[in-house]
Amino acid sequence: MGKPRVAFFDFACCEGCQLQVANMGEDLLAVLGAIDVVEFREVMSEKGEYDIAIIEGSITTSRDVERIKKIRQKAKVLMAYGSCATIGGVNGMKNNFELDHIRRYVYKDAAKYFETIPTRAVHQVVPVDYFVNGCPIYIPEFVKALKCALIGIPYKVPDHAVCVECKLNENECLYDKGLTCLGPVTKAGCNSWCVNHNNICYGCRGMVTNPAENGARDILEKYKIPMPWVENKMNMYNKVREHDEKEEAHGKKC
Amino acid sequence: MNHYMVLKKKDFNAFIEKLSKKMKVAAPVRKGVKNFAFEEVTRGDAISRVSLPTILPPKKYFMPQRETIQTFDRAVPRWNSVVSENDAIVIFGVHTCDLSGIQFLNAVMGTPPKDANYLARKANITVIGLECNDYCDAYASCKAMKTHLPSGGYDLFFTDIGDAFMVQTGSAAGETLAQETGFFTTADTGEQKKLGNIRKKKEKIFKDEISVKYANLRTVFEKTVQSEVWEDIGSRCVACGNCTNVCPTCYCFDIQDEIDLNLRTGRRVRVWDGCQNEEFAKVAGGENFRRKRGQRQRHRYMRKFAYPMEKYGTYACTGCGRCTRTCMAKISLKETIHALGEEAKS
Amino acid sequence: MTALLESPYEVMAGKILKTRQWTDLEKYFEVELPGRKDLGHEPGQFVMISVPGVGEAPISVSSSPTRKGSFEFVIRKAGGVTGMLHTMKEGDSVGIRGPFGHGFPTQRLEGYDLLMIGGGCGNIPLHSLITFVLDNRSKFGKVDILVGCKTPETVLFAEELKDWAKRPNVRLDLTVDRGGPGWQGKVGLITKLIPGIPTDPQRTCAVVVGPPIMYKFVIQELLKKEIPDDQILVSMERHMKCGVGKCGHCQIAQYYCCREGPVFTFKEIRHFYEAI
Repeated sequence: MGKPRVAFFDFACCEGCQLQVANMGEDLLAVLGAIDVVEFREVMSEKGEYDIAIIEGSITTSRDVERIKKIRQKAKVLMAYGSCATIGGVNGMKNNFELDHIRRYVYKDAAKYFETIPTRAVHQVVPVDYFVNGCPIYIPEFVKALKCALIGIPYKVPDHAVCVECKLNENECLYDKGLTCLGPVTKAGCNSWCVNHNNICYGCRGMVTNPAENGARDILEKYKIPMPWVENKMNMYNKVREHDEKEEAHGKKC
Repeated sequence: MNHYMVLKKKDFNAFIEKLSKKMKVAAPVRKGVKNFAFEEVTRGDAISRVSLPTILPPKKYFMPQRETIQTFDRAVPRWNSVVSENDAIVIFGVHTCDLSGIQFLNAVMGTPPKDANYLARKANITVIGLECNDYCDAYASCKAMKTHLPSGGYDLFFTDIGDAFMVQTGSAAGETLAQETGFFTTADTGEQKKLGNIRKKKEKIFKDEISVKYANLRTVFEKTVQSEVWEDIGSRCVACGNCTNVCPTCYCFDIQDEIDLNLRTGRRVRVWDGCQNEEFAKVAGGENFRRKRGQRQRHRYMRKFAYPMEKYGTYACTGCGRCTRTCMAKISLKETIHALGEEAKS
Repeated sequence: MTALLESPYEVMAGKILKTRQWTDLEKYFEVELPGRKDLGHEPGQFVMISVPGVGEAPISVSSSPTRKGSFEFVIRKAGGVTGMLHTMKEGDSVGIRGPFGHGFPTQRLEGYDLLMIGGGCGNIPLHSLITFVLDNRSKFGKVDILVGCKTPETVLFAEELKDWAKRPNVRLDLTVDRGGPGWQGKVGLITKLIPGIPTDPQRTCAVVVGPPIMYKFVIQELLKKEIPDDQILVSMERHMKCGVGKCGHCQIAQYYCCREGPVFTFKEIRHFYEAI
């Protein structure tokens, strides 16, 4: 059996996740031993057939919608990776505004040349088999999910808080330092990467599926943090979530 | 074995240094602004001899956050059990609350079928306790849980008596370890008296911190399983899992397989898990047997105050206060017990 | 210094002798241990099945210990491990750990009339007990079997059910929640079948295995028939991970389902707010 052919595609994003892959160091050689990369813009350019499509970026134009549908048709397995692809990410901030208004704000007189639709995560447009959340992706998690795809088993993004991993790493809680961190409501899987390096959690992996709204409000009160301020912080990555909530009846989840 | 020795404070640095040349030494060190953590040290002055409990209890040395329990090869296929032979390690500065936590875990892991991995690590660990002469903070409830005084679980036990440590031996291994360093002398009556005075003073300082009597705790919890207190706690809890991860007597874990990129070899690991986590009581079909956060909190408390009494004849709460101290939502163990106690009265 | 204890996580390599896809979701497996070593299980016990690189899953043994040399499972595809098992075939290897837990107390059941009620997946562990009872038929009183499934397509052990139904000393009733083209059997909930069964409550032991929702209603019916609560046996489904009473996942109140269960009397669990 030949090695599975893997193609990387990017949509609206900064290509930072591809950069993470290109920079993974020694593991990259091991990964390349297990797969054939047939499409990868950061390091090469080649058209071809593929088994696994790895998607970075959000869907933000109707052209994107057509393109992702074609990729989905061709791919046996589709992986969305990075916040933009899995939860909409920072591109979702666009959804805070009226579309025409934001288009004119960005492109001024040339606005009419730039068609746009509300930002969508990939699974909100086509079915996704594997999710690797995060901005950027956490390489050990990406490798883990890739291995799952290669042996044909599901990979499930943990549905408990970043705090769980953070405690296992025995970090001092950032709230003890007077900082506000989104760890308590954000999905784990990143090994509390940011907090390990003294940065707060920005919620880039998306909210846990059963967040405690009351409890979160209590925490804010306790630490005297204004609600709009946190909403703002939360919406930085998670605005597109509102679309998921509307579609929950369809059983779609990221 | 109730032998008392003395280590002069001026020799403390040299003692730790000498010990660390022989084996690993772990002790509480400052971590961040307000916290402490057990870490490897080579010098005595790196150690924080404060009474505030560390972020994680010393259980991490007996049962690490992640531990390989097996390796496998898919091609054969074959599984090999791994019972690690960890390096010998001394854990210095274990407070009485944490000593009782270790004793509880020993009982659980030593109950058949015994946990080989835990017991293998335990065999290589020397525990040196350190007395708290005063409270760490207002979250502790060690007097109420009867853990504010030493009652076993240590190889050596240190009490600060001013210019020296009074050292009680708890095992032959502890005694040998102390003697080999050459810094310990036999305690004289003056030093014995100082220890006595500290204990007398502690009697005055340490008062029952919770409103329910030790003997009644189990009944109170058994009477109040349907209490609205659980609903209230459930509405405040964010299920961050901090309380279970920092608890010295929580030992739940998950078992996961990790495969190498050759897609052939790999290992089976166990990772700390906790009953507050969303997926903990879910079965493959999707049913979650503890869907509500209030049910999960109740389960956590019952595992401390009701269930272990029947199984192990002891409570599983050490009174260390970690769960309250670390709770994002400030759910307080003392307040919870008080509220349940009041309800049980009526 | 290392304690020379055997790891409770030791896995035995089992070999798949036979497989058959039974329904869309359920697949049958016959497995043997090296040297055709006896598994040594009781009806109602479970094993942990390993697929290396994927993990372990708790699976009920569906065959009776009276059938030696190999043992059987019927596995529903529900997650990573069971999904992978569904891709496996004759000659493939799977890891086996166990058997674990308390099964049905077959000795205690001797002499009693048995009313065995299975719903959906619950018919799998129940199959082990029924086969055991039929292999030792003279030791038991009257045998009544009630089988409930969602649809005709999801009926498990269909061939054997027909065979059992023909036996003179067995009464078997099969019902589906929703019928379908060609289905001539009963349609309706399993609870409806219970009142019609003549029982001498003091002489009867009821055994119930099924989804959580079924327990609630079936047990009500059994209590109406005045069967004592310590003569009603249930098997609880929880997510066992270690199988040795440590990891905490399968706990129901103070019980570890993997050690003290999965079979309990209704008397043991009726006051447990978490059980049913």
